[in-house]
Amino acid sequence: MSIDRRKATIFGAAAAVRILLFTAFPGLPDLLTARVEVSTPVTSFKRLQEGLFLYNHNVSPYDGGVYHQAPILLPLFSLLPSSAAYPAFTYLLYILVDLLSANALMKIAESGEAGSSKLYTSPRKDKKWSSYAIAAAFLFNPFTIATCIGRPTSVFTTCAIILAISKAVIGSSYASMFALSIASYLSMYPLLLFPPLVLLCYDRRPKSSQSTSIYTSVLLNLLAVSGFIPFLLYMSSLITGSWEFLESTYGVQLLLPDLTPNVGLWWYFFIEMFDSFRSFFLGVFWIHLSSYVFGLTIRVRRQPLIVLTVLLGIFAIFKPYPSISDTSLFLALLPLYRHVFPLMRYSFLASSTILYATLLGPAFYYLWIYAGSGNANFFYAITLVWSLGLSLLVADILFAVLRDELEIERPEMKGKEIRQI
Amino acid sequence: MSGLLATTSLLRRDPRLLKVPPYLSFLCIVIGVAWLLLLPLDDYSRGTYISENALLPGQVHTYFAGSDQNVFRGYKHEVDALGERSNVEVNDKLGELFKASGLKVARQKYEYKSAGETYEGENIYAILHAPRGDATEAIVLVGAWRNVDGVLNRSGVALVLTLARYFKRWSLWSKDIIFLVTADSRAGPQAWVDAYHDTHQSPAIESLSVKSGALQGAVVIDYPFDHRFESLHIVYDGINGQLPNLDLLNTVVAIASGQMGIGASLQQMWQHTDSYQDRLKTMLRGMLNQGLGHASGPHSSFIPYHVDAITLQPYGEGWQDEMAMGRVIESTFRSLNNLLEHLHQSFFFYLLMQANRFVSIGTYLPSAMLVACNFTIMAIFLWVKSGAPLPPKTTVGSTTQSDEKAPPLAVIQEGDAKAIVPEETLAVRERELFLPLAVVAGSQFLGVLPLYLFNHTSAPMFPAIFTLFTAFNTIAPPLLSHLLTTTFHPTAQQYSLIKSFSLLILGLFLSSLATLNFSLAFLVGLFSAPLTYMQPLPNRPIIAGILALLLTALAPTTVLFAGAQYWGLGIGEVLKEAAFGWDVWGMNTQVVVWCVWWPAWLTGMVSLWGRPREEVES
Repeated sequence: MSIDRRKATIFGAAAAVRILLFTAFPGLPDLLTARVEVSTPVTSFKRLQEGLFLYNHNVSPYDGGVYHQAPILLPLFSLLPSSAAYPAFTYLLYILVDLLSANALMKIAESGEAGSSKLYTSPRKDKKWSSYAIAAAFLFNPFTIATCIGRPTSVFTTCAIILAISKAVIGSSYASMFALSIASYLSMYPLLLFPPLVLLCYDRRPKSSQSTSIYTSVLLNLLAVSGFIPFLLYMSSLITGSWEFLESTYGVQLLLPDLTPNVGLWWYFFIEMFDSFRSFFLGVFWIHLSSYVFGLTIRVRRQPLIVLTVLLGIFAIFKPYPSISDTSLFLALLPLYRHVFPLMRYSFLASSTILYATLLGPAFYYLWIYAGSGNANFFYAITLVWSLGLSLLVADILFAVLRDELEIERPEMKGKEIRQI
Repeated sequence: MSGLLATTSLLRRDPRLLKVPPYLSFLCIVIGVAWLLLLPLDDYSRGTYISENALLPGQVHTYFAGSDQNVFRGYKHEVDALGERSNVEVNDKLGELFKASGLKVARQKYEYKSAGETYEGENIYAILHAPRGDATEAIVLVGAWRNVDGVLNRSGVALVLTLARYFKRWSLWSKDIIFLVTADSRAGPQAWVDAYHDTHQSPAIESLSVKSGALQGAVVIDYPFDHRFESLHIVYDGINGQLPNLDLLNTVVAIASGQMGIGASLQQMWQHTDSYQDRLKTMLRGMLNQGLGHASGPHSSFIPYHVDAITLQPYGEGWQDEMAMGRVIESTFRSLNNLLEHLHQSFFFYLLMQANRFVSIGTYLPSAMLVACNFTIMAIFLWVKSGAPLPPKTTVGSTTQSDEKAPPLAVIQEGDAKAIVPEETLAVRERELFLPLAVVAGSQFLGVLPLYLFNHTSAPMFPAIFTLFTAFNTIAPPLLSHLLTTTFHPTAQQYSLIKSFSLLILGLFLSSLATLNFSLAFLVGLFSAPLTYMQPLPNRPIIAGILALLLTALAPTTVLFAGAQYWGLGIGEVLKEAAFGWDVWGMNTQVVVWCVWWPAWLTGMVSLWGRPREEVES
C-alpha cells in the first residue's frame, strides 16, 4: 500500500497546486487563457466558449469564424454547468485530464520500454527515474500547470496521445489506435504518429499473437484507424448537422487562415508572404513537418518510443499552431530517457535557451502589444530562440540515443569523441 | 567543421581556459560600468531632434495674451478663495466655471485602499469637442488640485481654467481636448486613466460618464506659486520605468527654448553647465527614478496606457509670467493637434543627460547586458567545472595543484594529426542536480514572503516588520547553511551547481528586465555583482567573515535602509510609498527586489557559509 500512497501524494499535491492557483488567483485562468503562448486559435478556451454559446443557441458553431475546434467538445462542455457561472466544474475536468495523463505516463515508465525495447536494450538502462519522479516532473512542470490553468483544449489531445502510447506499450493495439484516432480527430497532427506507434504495438504484441507478421499487424491497425476516424467524423456531422466543420477545423490547420501570433514559426512567415506563394509554402511547411516521420521511424526502428518522443518535440516546434502545451507533452516523455542524459552534449545550453525564451517571450510580447515601444519582430525573434532551444534539445536527445546504440555496435568507441562526417 | 568540434571539445577542458571565466565576468562588469560612464561624452550621446515631421513645433503664432491675463487673474482669485475647501465644494465651483466656458463636465469619485489607509477623492473633467474632429482622438490637459508635494496648485489650476476658456474660442482643433482637475497627484490621475480605459476596480472607482476618443498625449501643469518664473522643469518618468515618446519632450523643449526663450531642465538639475559631471548627474538621477519605477508626477499614470505624457513645472525667480507658460501649452497643443497618428517615430527607450542630449537604447543597453552577462558566463563556467572529474586532492579555493602521478592518457586523432591528452579531460562527471535545484527553487519561493509581508500589512507596522525582517535576514543565511550542511551534506560539486543555477536565474531575469526597465536591471546587477565570486570558504573563516560583511552591506534590506537615510525619509515612509505603488499604480519594483535580487543574495550568502563534504571518487 505504501506504493499507492506515494502516487496518491503526488497526484494529490498536483491537484492541490492547481486548485490553489485556481482559487487563490481568480484572475489567473482568464489571464492565461488570453496568453498567446498558451492558447492558439485551434485550442483557445475563449473560442470554445464562443462556439459553445452558438451551439447552445442552435446556431452553427462554425458560423462566426472564431471556433476551430472539434465538434465533440461542444456536447461535452454543454454537459458541464456554464464555466462563467460555475467555473469549478471546468477546473476539475482539466485537473482530472492532467492526472489521467500522468497516470498513463506512469504506466509507460513502468513498462521500461525506454530502457529496453524488444529489439534493443540499453547498457545504461538501470540508471532511470522511478515512474513517480516522471509523473511528478510532468505534473509540476510549470508549462503543464500553466496549460492546465489556461484551459486550452490541447490537453485532451495530450491526454489521448499519452494514453495511446501507454496502451501501445502493453500491446493492446486497438485501444492504442482508438486513442490515436481521438487525438487525430481533435488536432489532426497526431495522425503522423501512426507509423512509430504501430511499430511499438507490434513490438509489444501479446504472447497470444506472436505469430502475426508485421505487415498484417500494420494493415489491421491501419484498418482500425481508418474505421475509427470516419466514425468520429460521422458522429460529428450528426452533432453539428453538417459537414462544414471539416473546413473550419482541419481546413484551418492545413491552410492557416488565422495568423494570430503564437510560439511557432508559421504565423510571421505567412504574414510576410505574398499571396501567390502562399499555397506553395503551405505545402513546403507541411511536407517538412511530415518528412521526419518515416526517416526517424526507419532509422531508430529498434526504439519506437524515442521516435514518438522526438516527433512530439518536432511537432512542438514546427506544427502550424504550437503552444507550450505541446512543449509540456514533449517534456513529459523526455525524462523517460534519463539513462542517456549523460550522453547529451548541450543540455545546459538548451535548457538555458528555453529558460531565456520563456522569460523574454512575455516581456517582448508586452513591449509589442501593450507598451507599444516594440514591434512584432521582437516577439518573433524570441519565438525563433525558443524554437532553437527546443531543436537543440530534440537533436541532442536523438544524438544521445544514437550514441547509446553505437556503443553496443562498436564497443571500442565507448567514451571516444564522435565526429559527424 | 568537424575538426573544429573536436578541437573545441578539447579546448573545453583546457585548464588554462577554465581559469578565464572569472576574469572575463569581472571584465564584463568593469566594461559595463565604464560604458555607462562614457555615455555623457559628446562622441557617444546625440543631440535630440524631432522625428515626427507633423509636429512642427513652434511654427504657429500663439495668441494667448492680452485680455486672457485678466481672465487668468480672475480664475486665480476663485482658486485662492476655494483654498482649503473640501473636494466636493471645489469641484462644484470648478464645474460651474467649466460649464460657463461652454464645456461638457463630468466627475468621478475614487477610493483606494493601501497599507491600511484610504485614499479618496473626486476628479472633475471637461471635454472640449473638436470643431474639426470626429471625437476619435483626444489630448488631455491636467492640473492636479494638489501637486506631488501636496501644495495647492493655484496657478496651475487657474491656467487650466483659462486655457479651457481660451481653447474653446478656437475652431482649429481636430482632436478633442480634455481638461482634467484631479484631487491629488498620485491616486487621482491613476483612477481617471484606469476608468478611461475601463480597467478600474468598479465599485471603489467610479466609471466615467463622459468619454472621448483615444488619448494621444497628456500635458500636466504643476505651477503652485504666484510669482514669475525662470525656467521649465520637465518630468517625464513613467511607472515601472516606462518613458513617453521622446518626440513629446523634444516638442516642449523646442517650443519653450526656441519659441519662447524659456530654458528647460530635467531631473531637478536646476543648474546645468553642460559639463561632463552635470550630464552624468542628470543621467544617473534619471536612471534612479526609472529604476525605482514610481510615479514622479500625475503624468506617470498615463504612460502605461501608451499615452505619452509629461509634467511641466515652472521654477526659479525670473521674468517669465503665467502667460508665457500658457503660450508654451498652447503651442504644444497646436503641435499635438497636428499629429496624424500616435507618436511612434522617435525613441521610447532613452537616457537623457540634458534637455537636448540623449543616448538611445542601442548605445546604452550593452552596459546592462554586460552586467547581466557576467552572471551567465559564471553560471556556464560553474556548470562546466562541476562536470570536470575530481582532481587528485580536493582543495577548494586554491588554484594550484601538482599532479603527482601521471594520469591515464588517451589518443585523439584529428585528420592525420594525433594528440595525447589525459583521459580524464574527456570524461564528464555525472552531476547531482536534485539538491541544487531544490535549494534554488526554495529560495526563489521564499521571496514571496517579504513581497507579501511588505505589501499587505498596515502602514504603522512597517518599521517593526522591517526590523524583524532585517534580523531574519541576518540570521537566516548561516542558519539555513548549517541546516543544509547537517541534513544533506552537499558536496563541492553541489555547491557550485547551487551557485550556477542561482546565477543563471539572476542573469536570466536581469537580461529580460533590461529590455523593460534598463535602469533597474543595471542597478540590481551592480548590487549583486559580488555574488559572482561567492563560494564556500570553510578553511578561511576570516575571509569568509569579511565577505559576509560585504554581502550584508549590499543586501536589499541594507540598501533600502541606506537609501531611506540618504533621502532623509523614514523606512516606514518608503515602504508605505512602495505599498501604495503596488496597490494603486501597479508598480512592480518590489517583485524584482524580493523575487529576483533577494533570493540570489540569499543563495549567495548560504553558499558562502557552506561546508562542502569531502568527495571520494567512486
